[in-house]
Amino acid sequence: MYKSEQRTIFNVLALYLSSNLLLIATIFASYYYYQNEQLILNEKNILKKYTTELEDALLNVHQSSNDKYKYPRFENFKSAIYDIDKNLIFSTLDVQPPNIDQEFFIIEGNSYAVSPIKPYYLSAAYLVTQKETQTLNISNDFVAIAILIVLITIFTSFFLVKLVLKPLRENLHLLDNFIKDTTHELNTPITTILANIETLDTYNFDEKSLKKFQRIKIASQNISNLYQDLVYLLLNHKVSSTNEQLNISSILYERVQYFTLMANAKKLSFDLKIQKDVMFYADKQKIERIIDNIFSNAIKYSKKSTTIQVILEDSMLSIIDEGKGMTQNEIKNIYEKYRRFDNVQGGFGIGYSIIKSIADEYEITIHISSEVNKGTKVILKW
Amino acid sequence: MVRSTFIILFFVVSLGASSFEKNCLECHQNEFQLAMFMKKYALKYSSERSIKEALYSYLKKPTYNASILPFGYLNRFGIKEKSSLDDAELKKMINIYYDKYNIKSKIY
Repeated sequence: MYKSEQRTIFNVLALYLSSNLLLIATIFASYYYYQNEQLILNEKNILKKYTTELEDALLNVHQSSNDKYKYPRFENFKSAIYDIDKNLIFSTLDVQPPNIDQEFFIIEGNSYAVSPIKPYYLSAAYLVTQKETQTLNISNDFVAIAILIVLITIFTSFFLVKLVLKPLRENLHLLDNFIKDTTHELNTPITTILANIETLDTYNFDEKSLKKFQRIKIASQNISNLYQDLVYLLLNHKVSSTNEQLNISSILYERVQYFTLMANAKKLSFDLKIQKDVMFYADKQKIERIIDNIFSNAIKYSKKSTTIQVILEDSMLSIIDEGKGMTQNEIKNIYEKYRRFDNVQGGFGIGYSIIKSIADEYEITIHISSEVNKGTKVILKW
Repeated sequence: MVRSTFIILFFVVSLGASSFEKNCLECHQNEFQLAMFMKKYALKYSSERSIKEALYSYLKKPTYNASILPFGYLNRFGIKEKSSLDDAELKKMINIYYDKYNIKSKIY
């Protein structure tokens, strides 16, 4: 799976999941409020029944001819009576409410109902009944349903995204296959061209022919670089590295020599500050791929008649050009495969992807700083 | 000191009680009747404040409409005469009556 594809799947999944969770939360909140309303309604109805019982009992007590009045007590609820000025007359309540202005309220897990009565049996103008509030236990249902919905969402969104990305994935496969086939077919003609160029005797060439020959040589070097990159991509992770102690200083001189002709065509000059005998343990071909790609880009994007600085120190290589530069956003995306910022120049946009891949293998850190229209500085540290 | 306070208190209570006997119990000799009146006042007026207000208002100006007694009873005995007590004395008598017969203190 491609990185961009993974990112798309992750983004879509996050969006889909968050919107679903929002929907679930809204539904659950509504459900909770509905259940709570139902619970309160139920509590009110029960307390209303208790109030009627209390009122009947108060009537009986009031009508009795005894000197004292025994306040009615019940097993399933507690009560209190208040006079018309809301002064307490008698109470069996667990907690005395601070006021009885509301018809219904809940204090410390108990539901209370306040009902006015008339006539005022035992002076009571308000009856307060109290019962234990039923608990609303729907949190377990909430969690179970939420987990189920999240799982379904993840499952469906994953397949949905895969379905949507299928054409894109097919196109990328097609591109990969095309590069593989092209690379395979280019092998023989490139080898033939390069071998013949190297063996050509240029002494008999007049100036005009020599210029044409040099152009052909540069072009074939370009093709050769591209071919090497494609081979690296094609055989990536399939060929084991043959690591050895490399003299980076010598390799740099070799590669500068190799690119001189190409640089001369744009009137570019190399400013070399190469420390002698800097050694590094790696695969020669891979290190050449890194250097070639950085040089190739530097030459490709440099303005005419400028200088490319090459500085090699103990464990650091800097290559500085005076080219068109890049924006911060372009630098951020430079390692993406097939990412190209300039359609005028040729290439597949695989150079920095290869550099990054090899650098990671040998734990080389890459630092790129660039300024538009001023140039780019690439620093490799190991 | 305690002794003298107790004597003064006893004297004041006895004095209040004797004036209640003179002003109220002279006619309403039956205590059951007074208790019954209080039940009727409680049934109609509920709180101490409103019962006392209603009693005061009725005793100052007794009317058929303001009476809490049943119609048959009123028909037979009529309404009582207007109280001759001054306001302060009347209020004092009402307080004694309420303290002695109120429903709240009899609930257990």
